[in-house]
Amino acid sequence: MRQYLLKSLLQIIPVLFLISIIVFVLVYCTGDPVSLMLSDTATDEDRRILIAALGLDQPLYIQYFTFIGHLFQGDFGNSFRYDMPALPIVMERLPATFELAIAAMLVATVISVPLGILSATKRNSFLDVLFSGSSVLGKAMPHFWLGIMLILLFAVELKALPVSGRGTLAHLILPAFTLGTGIAAEMTRLIRSSMLEILNQDYIRTARSKGLLESIVVYKHALRNSMIPVVTIMALQTSTLIGGTLITETIFSWPGMGQLIIQAVNTRDMAIVQAAVFVVAILVIFSNLLADILYRVLDPRIKYN
Amino acid sequence: MKKRLAGFGLAAILALSTAIVGCSSQSSTTTAPKQEQAAQGTTAPAANDTGEKVLTFASGSDIVSFDIHDHNNTSTEAVHVNMFNYLVKKDKNQKVQPDLATSWEIVNDKTWRFKLREGVTFHNGDPFTAEDVKFTLERIAKDQKLLEYGNYKQIKEVKIIDPHTVEIITNESEPVLLNRLSRLGSSMLPSKYIKEKGWDEFLKNPVGTGPYKFQEWKRDDRLILVKNDQYFGDKPKWDKLVFRAIPEDATRVAELMTGGVDIAVNIPPSDMERIESNEGTHAVTGPTQRVMQLSLRTTPGTVTENPKVREAIDLAIDEKAIVDNILAGGGTPTRTRVTAGNFGADPELYGKSLYDPERAKQLLAEAGYPNGVDISFSATSGRYLKDKETAELIQAMLAEAGIRAKLDLLEWSKFNDTYKAKKFGEVFMISYANSMFDASLAFDRLTTERAKGESDYSNPEVDKLLKEAEKNMNLDERAKQYVKVQEIIAEERPQIYMYQMNANYGVSDKVNFEPRLDEMLFADEVTKK
Repeated sequence: MRQYLLKSLLQIIPVLFLISIIVFVLVYCTGDPVSLMLSDTATDEDRRILIAALGLDQPLYIQYFTFIGHLFQGDFGNSFRYDMPALPIVMERLPATFELAIAAMLVATVISVPLGILSATKRNSFLDVLFSGSSVLGKAMPHFWLGIMLILLFAVELKALPVSGRGTLAHLILPAFTLGTGIAAEMTRLIRSSMLEILNQDYIRTARSKGLLESIVVYKHALRNSMIPVVTIMALQTSTLIGGTLITETIFSWPGMGQLIIQAVNTRDMAIVQAAVFVVAILVIFSNLLADILYRVLDPRIKYN
Repeated sequence: MKKRLAGFGLAAILALSTAIVGCSSQSSTTTAPKQEQAAQGTTAPAANDTGEKVLTFASGSDIVSFDIHDHNNTSTEAVHVNMFNYLVKKDKNQKVQPDLATSWEIVNDKTWRFKLREGVTFHNGDPFTAEDVKFTLERIAKDQKLLEYGNYKQIKEVKIIDPHTVEIITNESEPVLLNRLSRLGSSMLPSKYIKEKGWDEFLKNPVGTGPYKFQEWKRDDRLILVKNDQYFGDKPKWDKLVFRAIPEDATRVAELMTGGVDIAVNIPPSDMERIESNEGTHAVTGPTQRVMQLSLRTTPGTVTENPKVREAIDLAIDEKAIVDNILAGGGTPTRTRVTAGNFGADPELYGKSLYDPERAKQLLAEAGYPNGVDISFSATSGRYLKDKETAELIQAMLAEAGIRAKLDLLEWSKFNDTYKAKKFGEVFMISYANSMFDASLAFDRLTTERAKGESDYSNPEVDKLLKEAEKNMNLDERAKQYVKVQEIIAEERPQIYMYQMNANYGVSDKVNFEPRLDEMLFADEVTKK
């Protein structure tokens, strides 16, 4: 176990190194921050002065090595836009994003577990078709559309919930539903198929033949085992969740990391983009690792190699 | 039987979980929005339950910083004006008025003397003195890394005569000094506080001299200011100001319509009618300093070298139709970039358009193109309000007159690369603002030297007039020089000015709000109904 963990942790280093190159090159390719920083009426001289002051006149590889050098000290450089170290700005947004992500996961679980079980036990019934259909719809609805529709319905028409911002529990509901629906849809389908597979296993037949109540068969014998792939898939949803926060946070002006990334990309705020992508990468890597470990813990049949 | 029971069990769980979902949303619907928000003072409009007078603004982006020298962002400055003061300020009609300076005089061509207001204190209690003026202006005039450096490098030094008198010495004569000092980058900073506590502390807990002082800033969420009872001017009208950042247009409009905010800026033209017809809100629009224009090549070898072709392009475009159909009326046709309210404006050219497609065809024929002409036309997509739609309509209008424009729509950073490299073809469309409120900025790309490679326009008379006007301390004569330049440019058309763009606001019926030409959001100019 320890050896396995150590190996997994060591594998993170080349991944991060690759990410650093990709991030650096991508940001460099998408345009020059100076043009966006200066006003349209700035002269060429103003540009030259600022480019030199920011060190952007250096050759690309020098800029990259400077970047990597600082990275080892945990320094992503200063955000052009805020003129502050980038990493603390990103870290300060994490709680809001976590709050939204956890709420969305809760919404997804609360919706998907009962629906998935029901679809599987009532296979090919009207409800099954309805839920499967809805989950396709839920997966297909883009976040920005769903978010705006929810705002129009629950905030503007019914005046039941606040439109945007972060603060109270009420502020969390619409964004959490927006972000959670897509994941709920995916999880419903997953739980359904996982349940179906388990329900056809021999030990379920054995349980039934012992004369156990169907509810005990379903909840005690089938559900537990069908949850193994579900739990790991949930942990693997981290990247989907974070991807979803980009749009959801922007729509609901939720002050989290997603909104920060969108704005940083729009303003070519390289330091923020780099810091944020790194933080996201580390989050995803660790949640994948966690999924791996969870899988092994839940299913002792799987061996470490 | 057993199966059926299990089915019921499952249905019950499903119902229960649905109920939980329903309950959680319902319990919060009844309690949270009204009471909790009011307690937080976050979104309650105009006056909340506690009787506190709160004014809430929503804009598309948050302020970038409290470093007043290191941004060139109108929407950031629009917020700062409530916390800081300039030496002189512009009133609603853009007339310069005393602010932290009570009077001023021109000592000689390069020296201005300002008498400072006495008894003013910063929010932390420090008195405002000549030291602060020297600290503020010399910082921005000397630190090349600051984004506003280019607009203040003209200042050579600030001499302290006594604690309440300063002399500002400029490198050259500076007829626009008062314009410079009443805009972004000139807010007076507390020198003692910054020197003692450092910039990091100032950026966390900024203090100014303004009517509202800093309370809390949650980046990309909200900035909260509270009234400053020690303010030297009229008593602040509001107890609290909330500036919210809501990037998504639809969300911003929804917040306004549900009463979450009192004034929302940057409303898409398509939503103006919805806001107007909604009960409790109305739409307001007002002119800005931004002018949408075309830049044309006079470069030898291009078709637009011929002044008749340039005139034909001008006559082929119906500016009023663009404003009415694309911007929902949010703009004013103009033939000059120096619009009303700017120093040196020529009222003869403002509010006019020369649309005449028949004459345009005739001009093309006279220029030797009876069968029409091909030009390249570059424009931005997504940079300015409805820029893509505008460019497409212009392309269609030009086609009516026989000018076949090959339209190239570019995303801003791509457009900007070509723009900086001066590699556009015959025509490109761009919008410029003028934060200096002075004609000088409007023609900075039309001197022979600066136009080289871009429009390649060169007129010795224009060069001479601009050079003289730039340093002319005789303001009447200076204004006439700029009017003359505008007439020449309107005739020779190295640039064709189309329309002045409006800013659109959505406003709650609970407040009176009149937009300003400079787009600043002075809370004390907003009154409760």
